[in-house]
Parts: sequence; C-alpha cells; structure tokens
Amino acid sequence: MTTEATTNTGGKPAKKLTMKKRYSALTRDLDWKPSYVTEEQMFPHTTYEGIKIHDWSKWDDPFRLTVDAYYRYQAEKDKRLYSVLDGFAQGQGHLTISEARYLNAMKVFLGGVTPLEYAAHRHFAYLARHYNGPGPRFAALCQSIDEMRHAQTEIHTLSNYNKYYSGFHNFSESFDRVWYLSVPKSYFDDALTAGPFEFLIAIGFSFEYLLTNLLFVPFMSAASFNGDLPTMTFGFSAQSDESRHMTLGLEAIKFLLEQDEDNVPIVQEWVDKWFWRGYRVTAIIAQMLDYMLPRPVMSWKEAFELYFEEQMLGGLFPDLAYYGIKPPRHVEQAIWEKDHLSHVVYETLYNFSFAANFTTTVPDEEHHKWLAQQYPDTYEKTYKPRWDKYEELDKAGKRQYFPGLPQLCQVCQVPMCFPAHDDETQTQFHSEFEGEHYNLCSEGCKWIFEREPGKYRQAWLPVHQILAGNCGGPTVPDVLAWYKFQEGDNGEYVGSVDHKHWIEWHDQIEDVAGETADAGKEA
Amino acid sequence: MQYELKTQVIEPTRHTFDHIAARYGDRPATRYQEGTIGLQPKENFHYRPSYAPEREMYDVNYSAYKLADPEGFVDPRGYYYTPYVTNRSEMHEGFGASLEYVTKRELFGRTPDAWKTVMTEVLIPTRHYESGAQMLFSGACRFCYGSALAQCCAYESFDRVGNAQLISRIGIALGDQTATVLREGKRAWMEAEHMQPLRKLIEELLIEEDWADSVTGIDYADRLLSALLHKHLEEVAINNGAGAYSLLIQHLDGWYAEHRKWLDALYKAWTSDETHGASNIELFSASANKWLPQAEAAVRDIAARADELLGADAGCVAAVEAAALETREALSKLGLTVEEAR
Repeated sequence: MTTEATTNTGGKPAKKLTMKKRYSALTRDLDWKPSYVTEEQMFPHTTYEGIKIHDWSKWDDPFRLTVDAYYRYQAEKDKRLYSVLDGFAQGQGHLTISEARYLNAMKVFLGGVTPLEYAAHRHFAYLARHYNGPGPRFAALCQSIDEMRHAQTEIHTLSNYNKYYSGFHNFSESFDRVWYLSVPKSYFDDALTAGPFEFLIAIGFSFEYLLTNLLFVPFMSAASFNGDLPTMTFGFSAQSDESRHMTLGLEAIKFLLEQDEDNVPIVQEWVDKWFWRGYRVTAIIAQMLDYMLPRPVMSWKEAFELYFEEQMLGGLFPDLAYYGIKPPRHVEQAIWEKDHLSHVVYETLYNFSFAANFTTTVPDEEHHKWLAQQYPDTYEKTYKPRWDKYEELDKAGKRQYFPGLPQLCQVCQVPMCFPAHDDETQTQFHSEFEGEHYNLCSEGCKWIFEREPGKYRQAWLPVHQILAGNCGGPTVPDVLAWYKFQEGDNGEYVGSVDHKHWIEWHDQIEDVAGETADAGKEA
Repeated sequence: MQYELKTQVIEPTRHTFDHIAARYGDRPATRYQEGTIGLQPKENFHYRPSYAPEREMYDVNYSAYKLADPEGFVDPRGYYYTPYVTNRSEMHEGFGASLEYVTKRELFGRTPDAWKTVMTEVLIPTRHYESGAQMLFSGACRFCYGSALAQCCAYESFDRVGNAQLISRIGIALGDQTATVLREGKRAWMEAEHMQPLRKLIEELLIEEDWADSVTGIDYADRLLSALLHKHLEEVAINNGAGAYSLLIQHLDGWYAEHRKWLDALYKAWTSDETHGASNIELFSASANKWLPQAEAAVRDIAARADELLGADAGCVAAVEAAALETREALSKLGLTVEEAR
C-alpha cells in the first residue's frame, strides 16, 4: 500500500491540483497503510500463488473515471437501452427477427454467458477487497458492478423472448444442471477457485482481452445481422464498459510482468492454460456462428483468423515477447482445428439436442453452399456427406439422435469429438492419477489436467453424474424432467413449438395485410 | 376522453422465468425480480476454492448468520443496476450543485476558523474510513449467500467509495483546490489521537473472518458517526454560521437514511427467521457487545475533539452518547441482549 504525495512540502503556497493529482486524491490517496493489523492479515491471499508485487502504485489507471462521472454515463446509457427494450416489446418486435430458430443462439447466450457475467460480478468484488493496491482495487470494483449491469441488461433484453419462445425459461438453474452448460460453468468455476492473480489472467486477460472478440462479440454481431434490435442495442451499450475491461486485462498482465522477473514463468503457464481453456469454450460459439444463424455474420474460420491469428498472434504476442511471453502452448492445434471445430461440435449437438435447451436442424441448400464456400478444404469432403445422411434419415422419419450419452473431457467437459491434428482418427487422450483413469479431448486439456490433477478430478462431470443417478434418475426422461424441460425446448427445430408459432403468428399478420389489400382492390 | 390505438396482440406463452414464477407466481415480474432473484449458482460446483478449500465457491458457511430462505430477503429499495445508478447520479449531481454554490459564494471563506479545523480534523479523515467500508462491503458481496443480498453489498461498496470521494471533494474545496486539507486530514487519520480508535476499529473489522460480523460491526460506527457528523454537527453548524457544512453534509445524511433501509430489512430477516432466528440473535448480540462499545469509544473521542474545537456547549459527546443509547434500544427491539454502556 502506498500513498502518493498530492501537495507541496515546506512553506511555499500549495499548488492547485492538476487533473491527474485530483484523480489520485479521489482514488488511491484514500488508501492507508494499516498499523493495528499487519498487511499480511489485511491481504492474506496475495502471496500464496508465488506472484511478487513490489510496488502496487505502479498500476496505471488508464481511465481516471470518478464515481460521479461513472454514475452519470451509466445512467444515461441505461436510459437509452431500456427505451429500446420497451419499444421493441410494445411493438411485438420479436416478429421482425430473421427467423425463430435464430433465437437458439440467444438461448445459448442466456444459459451460457449471462451466468458468467454474474460470476464475474461476484469475483471482481473479491479483487476489490483483496488486492493490496488501491488502483487495481478500484478498477476491479468498477468492473464488478459493470458485470452486474451486463447480467441484468442481458436478462431484461431476452426476457421478452422468453414470454413467447421456448428454451429460455429455466436459464438460471440450467447453468447448474444442463450438461453442455458445464463447459462455460467449469471454466468460470476454475477461475473463481484459483488465486486472485490467476483469476485476473483467466478472466481479465484471457476472457476479456485475448478471446473476447471470439466469445462475447459474435453474439452481438449475430443479433445485428438477424434483426434482434434489443440484443444489438445491448451490445453497443456494453461496448464502452467492455473496452474498459479489455484495458484492465492488458494492464493486468503488463503489471504482473513488470513487477518481477520471477512472475514471467508463472504468467506464461497461466496464459497457456487459460488460452486453451477459453478456446475450448469457444467451441460453442463456433457452432453458433456457422450453424445457428439464419443470416450468418462470418464463419468461425474467418473470425478466428481475424480476431485471433491476426490481432492476437500477429499484434499482441509480438508486444508481449518484450516481457519474455511466448504465444500460448497448443495454439497450432487450435489453428488447425479452425477447419473442423464448428462442424464436429454442431454435429455433436445435433445428436444430443434432445437433452439441450435449444433445437437443431440439418442445414438447407443455401446454407450448405455458404459452408462449402467458407470451408473449401473440409466441408464438402468430410462434413456435408454426414448432413446428407442425417437428412435422409430425417426424411424417412428417423431423425438421428445418438442413443446414449457422450464421453466428456475431464477438463473442458466438451464431448470428445475433436480430431487430432496429426492423426484425425484420434479423438481421445488419457491420463492416470492416483490409480484412476481420466479421459481428455486433446493434448491441451491433457497438459492442463496433468498440471493440477488434484483440481480437475473434482470436476462435476454431467454424464458421470447422470450415470450415477444424481440428475433426477436413471433414464433420459428423468434427466429432462430434472432439467425442467417443457415441450418445444429441445430436439429438432422443424415442426417444433417455436417453428409452428412462428408460422402461425406470421400468417396472422399477413392475413390482416391481405384482407386490407383485398379491400383496397374492391374499392 | 382518450384515443384508442389498435395494436396487434399475441398472447405470451408465459410471463416470466421459472424461478421467478415459482416464487412470485406466473405473472409479469418486475425488472428487479428478473434481474436479481436466483442468479447465484447453488449446486454442482466443480472445484473447491484455493483460498478456502473447506468451502464451496458459494457457501452459506462463510457466515454463522443464516437464513432459511436466503433468496427470500430482497432489497426494499428495489435497486437493480439501472435505478441504482440513476438515483446515485442524481445524488452526486445534487452534491456537485451544492459544492459549486459553496465555492462560488466563497462560503468556506466566511466559515469560522474553528469550523474549518473541525472539518479538516473530524470530517475529512472519514474519507479513509469510507474507503475501508468499500473494501468491507466488497468482501461481503463476494462471500455472502444469495443474489439479492450480494447486490445490496455491491452497491453499498460502491456507495462507500462514492462517499469517500464526496468527502474528498469537500476537502479539496476547503483547501482552495489544493491537497493541503486532505493531507492534514490524512495525518489526523494516521496519527491524531482522536482518530486512532476509529482507524483501529475499521482495520480490525476488515480482518473479521465472518462477513456478517464485519457488516454488523461497521454499522455501529456508522450509526454513531452519522449522528455526530450528519445530524448533530449539522444542527450546530447552522447556529454557528457554518452554513457550508450544513449544505454539503445533507447529501450524506440523505444517503445514510436510505442505506438503513436494506440493512434494517436484513436485520429483520435475520432476527425473525423461523429456523435460525434464535441463533442469529445470539450471534448478533455477541457482535453488538463486542463492537458497539468500541464504536462508541471511537466516535466519542472524535466528538470530544469537536467539542474541544467548538467549545463544550457544542455538546458533541453528549450527542454521541445519546445516539449510542438509541442504538442499544433499536438493537434490543430486534431481540438482542445488549449490555449497558460501561
């Protein structure tokens, strides 16, 4: 804890505060060095990870946001956002989106991303208590309540769809229960149970900076392309908060690296771990971009090349090399996978959507064409034939579902569907720990497991839990009842409740228009 | 007479989310409810926290105080993010207008010297106390159980750094846009005898293991400080030609009255809980008997310094003693067994 001198010394007349000193007086000068308890007692969690901080005052506040300015900006932004939400709801705006099945993307978002905002809200509060330095504490405090804003504005944005469409209604409990949501949940649980510095690299740096354009932003772009005005407006409204969070993430890694050379190898391992951990969560985004959108934005491959290979590997990592940080381990596997990821994941979800809170369907002709263009090396050769087979089965009245439960990776918890770079037939890796056998989806997850086997063996793996009878009972209907699924939440899109309603509601509107037009002709 | 706008009506399939309907019925829910209730995960956590390996990530056992239905507690103010920031934006704007008026009319220049010293040595040091309160409530936000309560703690923590900034701005204005007054205030916080018991109190509260003990503990000091700084000194200031103090402090007094609402609701929930009421009352009584005497001694020392500066007829110590008595009565009404002042 340090204090910055904010005034003159000696007998000369005091100087008026500059903007910078004034900001400092309103923030970090509030801090003091405790003397009735020790610093170790006051901040008991900032030593056990091995990170060494010599001077907390070196943390740079890039924003100089004071509390009154924060309230003013945020209140103004919310006023605008909620007026859009209200107008959209009042005008039955949900009928103007591209198609009901677009909302599958938003069901994934509300179930899989909104709870992450909430988790970030709680744990940035932990940093706002537990960091020794007032600079990062205040930055974390702002982020903590921003994250609450995001969780709430997302819920309020999607609340209107919940009134008319399936799959949204039990989002909060689903996060704790539904099998595929254990992928984002275990990611955040992993971060929240780590120490305060690892959390900062996991969420502040990896999630909010390194991968944010692949994790969060694709949903907002999807909304904009598919006529989802409220979500798009939310996305724009969150933009200035997100840019603060991104700056915090970058400041965080630089701060840790500059404080002590011994921090470099620790941070490198966290970058390696959290890149791969985060990248595996993007599997859900990849399939959303390529398969769930009636009007696609860009392919996963294109997004990955632009936002990760160009901006991060080409832009960020050369800067970090100055500190001795190398591009993340296993990145070459991720690059190779960009031609495969979305296809294998959507195929898996297609097979298991009987147990998900969204629906899936075989791509139509136009969609096949788009996918073939986007993936010239793999789509027609490997993946289209599989869809053709599923379509045939569907036409014969035998819609394909996998008759059983998938094997999940012990670390990322994604079903083990990923082909390996050097051997496309290999989709399974294994490890042993204290006489037990563990299944892993990739070299990346195997490496993460073997770094901390004592942690990852604790994982609440949904499939194991189902098989152990801990999820409502031994049969699939028992499990779906435990998920509180309703008719229309899951399975095939074509002929689903949402699909039928969509047609019915649009017929209603068009009939009215037709009658008016006819009446006009007669006159 | 009103005009009739024809609109297309599509009947909704449901009115709200399952967990809201389960608690409040399937009818249109408020934004507070949908944005608050049930957001905290409850089960199937994956890993144990490295900083508390014996606990879950969210665990009722981070405190000995318990509620049979943790989501049954709600913020009586109904604050979710938007009304919260909207209300506080207005509060800070109101404060800014008062401060501008004080500055423009040079009211500090017309304030008696004794009062300037009171502000420098008594009020300004509490910016550090408020900053400690931010940390305290941030810790409570992370480790308390239930999303409605965590949300109250989150906004409280932000309120407290906001208060610290309001008080700092008074100090900057009093120092004629320099840091002189803040520096003297900080010296008082670190070294002056009359501020040490309060600093000791907040430092010790920050290392309390149980977040609920920290929250109840700081409240005793808050009650007495409010009685001294927001109520009593404000009254004396008006009679003493220190109108600037009154104009500025009213904004903190308004905040204090409002913040009591959620705390009092929490106390009521704790003490009247069907399952845990008796044990909560026991814990709460122990907290009161441990921290209230320390808070009283700490704030009395500060009041004594104010009396020293303003003259004994300023009656600050007596005001704090009266407030301590009132606090004991209020706590007794909740069912607590609170020992008499020593």
